[in-house]
Amino acid sequence: MRELCGEAIDAATAGGAGYADARAVTRRAQNVATKNGEVESVSDGETEGVGVRVLVNGAWGFACDRRLTEEGARSAAERAVAFARASASRAGRRQVELAPAPAEKGEYRTPAKRDPMDVPLSEKVDLCLRAEGAMRHEDVKITEATVRSQREERAFQSSEGADVYQEFVECGGGIDALAIRDGKVQIRSYPSAHGGSSSQSGWEYIDGLDLPAHAPRVAEEAAALLRADPCPSGVTTVVLDSEQMVLQVHESVGHPTELDRVYGTEAAYAGTSFLRPGDLGSLRYGSDLMNITADSTTEGGLGTFAYDDEGVPAGRQPVVESGVLNGFLSSRETARLIGAGNGGSMRADGWSRMPLVRMTNLHLEPGAGSFDDLLADVDDGIFMCTNKSWSIDDKRLNFQFGTQIAWEIKNGKLGRMLRDATYMGTTPIFWSGLDAVAGPDEWELYGLTNCGKGQPGQHAHVSHGTSPGRFRNVQVGVRDV
Amino acid sequence: MTSDGRAVELADRAWRTAEADEADAVVQVEESGFARFAGSEVHQPTLISDESITLRVVRDGKVGCAVTNRTDDEGLREMARRAAEAADSAPPDPGYAGLQPPAPVADVAGYDEDTAGLTPEEQAALAAEAIEAAPEYGLYGYFTSGLTETAIASSTGHSVSQRMTDASVLAIAASDDASGYAEATSWKAGDLDPAACGREAAEKAARTRGATEIEAGTHAAILEPYAFSELLWYFGFSSLSALSCLEGRSYLSGRLGEKLFHESFTLIDDGLDPEGMPKAFDLEGVPKQRVTLVEQGVAKDVVWDRRTAKRAGEGHESTGHALTAPAQGFGPLPLNLSVAGGDVPTPKLPERVGDGIYVTRLHYLGVVDPREGIITGMTRDGTFKIEGGKVTKPLVNLRFTTSFPKLVEGILGLSEEVVLVNRSDYYDERYPFGTRVPAIATSAFTIVGTGSGPGL
Repeated sequence: MRELCGEAIDAATAGGAGYADARAVTRRAQNVATKNGEVESVSDGETEGVGVRVLVNGAWGFACDRRLTEEGARSAAERAVAFARASASRAGRRQVELAPAPAEKGEYRTPAKRDPMDVPLSEKVDLCLRAEGAMRHEDVKITEATVRSQREERAFQSSEGADVYQEFVECGGGIDALAIRDGKVQIRSYPSAHGGSSSQSGWEYIDGLDLPAHAPRVAEEAAALLRADPCPSGVTTVVLDSEQMVLQVHESVGHPTELDRVYGTEAAYAGTSFLRPGDLGSLRYGSDLMNITADSTTEGGLGTFAYDDEGVPAGRQPVVESGVLNGFLSSRETARLIGAGNGGSMRADGWSRMPLVRMTNLHLEPGAGSFDDLLADVDDGIFMCTNKSWSIDDKRLNFQFGTQIAWEIKNGKLGRMLRDATYMGTTPIFWSGLDAVAGPDEWELYGLTNCGKGQPGQHAHVSHGTSPGRFRNVQVGVRDV
Repeated sequence: MTSDGRAVELADRAWRTAEADEADAVVQVEESGFARFAGSEVHQPTLISDESITLRVVRDGKVGCAVTNRTDDEGLREMARRAAEAADSAPPDPGYAGLQPPAPVADVAGYDEDTAGLTPEEQAALAAEAIEAAPEYGLYGYFTSGLTETAIASSTGHSVSQRMTDASVLAIAASDDASGYAEATSWKAGDLDPAACGREAAEKAARTRGATEIEAGTHAAILEPYAFSELLWYFGFSSLSALSCLEGRSYLSGRLGEKLFHESFTLIDDGLDPEGMPKAFDLEGVPKQRVTLVEQGVAKDVVWDRRTAKRAGEGHESTGHALTAPAQGFGPLPLNLSVAGGDVPTPKLPERVGDGIYVTRLHYLGVVDPREGIITGMTRDGTFKIEGGKVTKPLVNLRFTTSFPKLVEGILGLSEEVVLVNRSDYYDERYPFGTRVPAIATSAFTIVGTGSGPGL
């Protein structure tokens, strides 16, 4: 694979590229899904190819080829150069420049006790069926369980001399129970909604989730939601569990701090950002308790690597410190534009997509105290758990999120269960209402595989660690009127 | 349809490699170019060349799937081995509905030699046409075109293939305080006028400066085809599939046969329509049928694949709406939705509304309650007030959380003109699809809050 990268770079530079990099990637993924006690899907997919990115006359070009052969590598390089040259032809265009980065050489492999791809599919099927079996309940009409595993090998070289080889393994899973009665539908999930949670780890991560053990509670809560009262409307105190907090961090901090969005290059799809380059170091993002860190070295994080897809080494950097914006997620190009750092957040979905500025692992740093301490200072509020729906505007300013389950909080204690809970807010106003974050003992890491961005679309796998948090003066209970 | 036969030959080789009682193979070929631009410069030009095979095998009633993009003999053998291992790992699948027997498929439109032959230089030049038509703004969007081919062959003797082309141009003209949107899509690049798209976006942007807010509440509104298409698509995937209907998750669960919408609302799914993005068969090779989903406000049907048809029992058959085997957990999907046009010339629609809101497009939708058809999202790139039957002042982006059924029940008018709107975001394998919709005037579009102003 490394030789093919070199072949591609030679062809690109011979064709006139001032800069070129190449990624040769092989990916194999297994997915098992069961539903209502039957196997819905068992699949084992692989894909491979080479993607070549070039700068010609200061303009980017990217092309790829599924063939991991010299011919495929050269063809991708030549087509990338041709497309870049065509794109560069417009007079007066900005010349892309990259922040300096050392030509890194190195290797990385995910530490794993038991390689998820070595776990027999039959064991995966059995686990799903056992977890599902433990969700049987009179009102639960649909039970689902999924597990996934993936291995990816990625070689990267650049015309500046970078030469990197990395092997990643991931696995994840989850269960869902849908209770249906009298036209009402309610869902509960574990450990996370929308396909569960994943980790860059060995199969020991799945063992640790212990899906069957959580199944009875998931089913009982789904059924109980059918009889729960709806979440009332009003402005109140909200406590978010770690899982919903993950989505809150992802959507209202992760995406707006992607520097390509700040500079407008994602405007046509995912959107822009309410942040401006000049906000760095001065914008009040939230309360003093808000500390957000981007960390591509987190153990088990889906965004963990030794080098990003520009060959920039992994690291840990503050994004928000004591409520103030102190960092952006960047590429070498956007780092050069803003004059800070040298990137480190460039990631591509496989071999057939151009790297984009993406989240790696983005965490809300823990505060102090326990979850019960969070509740203790709430006379009247709502505790919301597990994301159900989400929507946020193109500048990442106005959002509305819904959760699967909620409980009212009365005089510092959890009260009755509530269904169909939603809340909405404006990003910096919402985060300014953060007045407590639970401590390190409550901090949990979740991994999601459905972060979409780019045209053509790309999925990114990212992780977030959070503790539960408490927000004051939140609008809740938004429904169609 | 046209094909050089190579893809179907590969599909045939692939299923024959399997050691199985039954097997089918789906080959998906893509050659595409994406001239994505921002700030009026092409910044992410992407050329994709891929060819993937999905093999499904059945062994003793057990079903397994494998995928590869290695098309040599070794790649196919390895795929067959993994598919067999997948099948052997599972218990027999009682829901398995068998493979599609040999059947003729319609000869549909959807392939254009000129579009297939567009070079990267031409794709970049077409993007530049849009950019140059909006010099007063930064232009953000893309021109893309692609050649795709789907071929399916199986142990039943069924063998089909279809070559398709598609082209789309999308343009957001924007400055710090203004933004406007336009897009166009077709299976013939020659049908598109990128410059007109750029101009439309710029003209819309020019009217968005000085946006003001509006009170939350249920308003009368016009949704341009761009906006209506997206809302319909979210309702479609959550409620118009046989799977969600059978499982009781759909708005139509238990309501088929009832009058649920305004009598002027007729909705079909028609993969055979040459005005859409034609498909002759679905991704298990079943011939596409034209399905009437709603007729004059009465819910008539949903879309089916072989698995859901078997589950529903006698009287049901696949309508040709399956995804590939590993993705069939999502159920069948209506990828060619089409709403019948109305009797109102587009410029006259505001008169039907009187006072209300004009919406160009939507952003980041989420289904809040699929059973009730409640969807949330934001308006974007051209939201205006309608006063006295005329489109007047610009509004900031609005947060809506609205009932799709109520919106369609409250139709005040549908435009005569029906527009094809692209619905593909080009994730994974390229598979062009879109919806054909008119603009809609409705009495019931519910705003729950305000967001940022137009612009970057």
